[in-house]
Amino acid sequence: MRLLSIIDEAYRVAWGDLVYIRDNIAEVLITSLVGPLLYLLAFGFGIGGSVSSDPDAYLAFIVPGIVALTTLSATFSTVAMKVLVQRLFYMSFDELLLCPVHISAIVLGKCATGIVRALLSCTLLIVVGHLISPEVSLQPLAILVVVMAALTFSLMGMLVGMFMEKSQHLNLFTSLVIIPMTFLCGTLFNVEALPSVASWVVYALPLTHVSELMRGIMLDTCIPMDSVAILAVYLAVFFAACWWMIKTNRC
Amino acid sequence: MCRDTENQFSAASGGCSDATIADVRGLVIRFGDFTAVDGLTFEVRRGEIFGFLGPNGAGKTTTMRAITTIQRPTSGTVLIDGHDASSDYIEARKRIGIAQQHISLDKDLTVRQNIRHRAILHKIPRSELDSRIDSAAHLLGLEDYMDRTVGSLSGGWKRRAAIVCAIVHEPELLLLDEPTAGLDTRSRHILWDLVRDLNARGTTIFLTTHYIEEAESLCDRVAIIDHGRMVAIGTVDELRDMIGGVAVDSNPDGRTETRYFRGMDDARAYASSLGDAYVSIRRTTLEDVFLELTGEGRGRFE
Ligand SMILES: Nc1ncnc2c1ncn2[C@@H]1O[C@H](COP(=O)(O)OP(=O)(O)O)[C@@H](O)[C@H]1O
Ligand SMILES: [Mg+2]
Repeated sequence: MRLLSIIDEAYRVAWGDLVYIRDNIAEVLITSLVGPLLYLLAFGFGIGGSVSSDPDAYLAFIVPGIVALTTLSATFSTVAMKVLVQRLFYMSFDELLLCPVHISAIVLGKCATGIVRALLSCTLLIVVGHLISPEVSLQPLAILVVVMAALTFSLMGMLVGMFMEKSQHLNLFTSLVIIPMTFLCGTLFNVEALPSVASWVVYALPLTHVSELMRGIMLDTCIPMDSVAILAVYLAVFFAACWWMIKTNRC
Repeated sequence: MCRDTENQFSAASGGCSDATIADVRGLVIRFGDFTAVDGLTFEVRRGEIFGFLGPNGAGKTTTMRAITTIQRPTSGTVLIDGHDASSDYIEARKRIGIAQQHISLDKDLTVRQNIRHRAILHKIPRSELDSRIDSAAHLLGLEDYMDRTVGSLSGGWKRRAAIVCAIVHEPELLLLDEPTAGLDTRSRHILWDLVRDLNARGTTIFLTTHYIEEAESLCDRVAIIDHGRMVAIGTVDELRDMIGGVAVDSNPDGRTETRYFRGMDDARAYASSLGDAYVSIRRTTLEDVFLELTGEGRGRFE
């Protein structure tokens, strides 16, 4: 019962952001798709074709990786920026805190933008990936992982958006944390190729496990359960932190 | 009415009566070492227009945010219709609407979308959404602006849109934080009429202002606030009577000196005793009351 009412309330919270997506669908599609498709072109065909000894195998390797990095790139900045702008410039974030809804519903509802964007772009990428690389299979389970990863990274975006006092700080965070993660977390090359200390650091980052999961599912190898567990821990920690920030008036 | 608000409420203590919509007791709010609200106790009575009058930085907004449940008190309690704003905040929020000091609309959306979002958040049934939105918009004469983006509206219209957002769920208590700040005289008068109209329809209004005139002409009762403390509370007439309802300004050696009298006769007698000095007799204003009771110099309200 309580879960249902929180989901209902989360939709109510998300309504404004979802209407924005509906009314600006062209902009949303372009901003969430151009990046991933360029990665596919540049790394899959460009670098893969000229450097790798087995271009097809590399393509099959990076398609799940690009889907994984898209769950980060389509969510984090959008959610962080939306929360930051609505909080500091529009001051409409306050209004959510004034409505008779649970804190959990506010946290989940604010992630809706990220999840919708990630679903739009990842679904398309999976289909394109399947068409250009026969080794990539279409698996409904992959969508579940997209949702879980998108929620995790949206929560991270929300947390950062609630924390930062200036949009410049957000840019700094993106350059120092998000961009390196995008490239290093097993998305475009195998983490084992990194020096051992670096690979341990990278192993601790959530995106690495999204890559592992995507690759396991899309290439029909095994599904790494430890990655599911690690991702779930990140999700829970980010969720709790967002909840706590609102509960204790820190945003 | 009395200056010592603690006494006032110990006399009428014991829970939240039916006549009280908001009951604030011993409210203290600190930001680090700084005390923004320093032990406020007052009530907002059902059906009235209650005003908080005080200079910038007095703690008006902070108090209002505590009433709306978004600012947690350092200590003290706020009851909204008997519901504790800290622990029972969902019930408290259902009864409140607020138009914040800084317009807090989503500028990416149209006016209608903003209002609709607020209505959806307050769980207004789907079948009633359109009629509720339209009638709230009609009350503030916003019909022609509904499909414009918020960013394209002028200040007065933005303010009205924010008020529509605040009343679409038909709250019992409407909070207006400096509703006319930055508006021209004409828009200000239009807004006063709208506030009176809403009040006549049964909504209790709690507004803050740093305009003396606004408090005097609009409010049934006024609390004068300074440095987070209550200076005085009562009807405008009661507040005037605290220092004397008639003011005599004289100008003996180039600077204005003001004295207050209970009756016109005393004031006239004093005025004629001053002889040649330039003298004017007028009604006491809430600014006089503020200055007398705080012992501050003029100009803090400018
Ligand atoms: N979040 C905050 N952190 C620190 N100080 C604050 C904060 N909010 C308000 N203040 C301070 O509290 C005092 C009262 O502010 P406020 O309630 O906005 O006054 P008013 O609305 O009467 O102008 C001011 O001095 C303001 O600087
Ligand atoms: Mg204020």
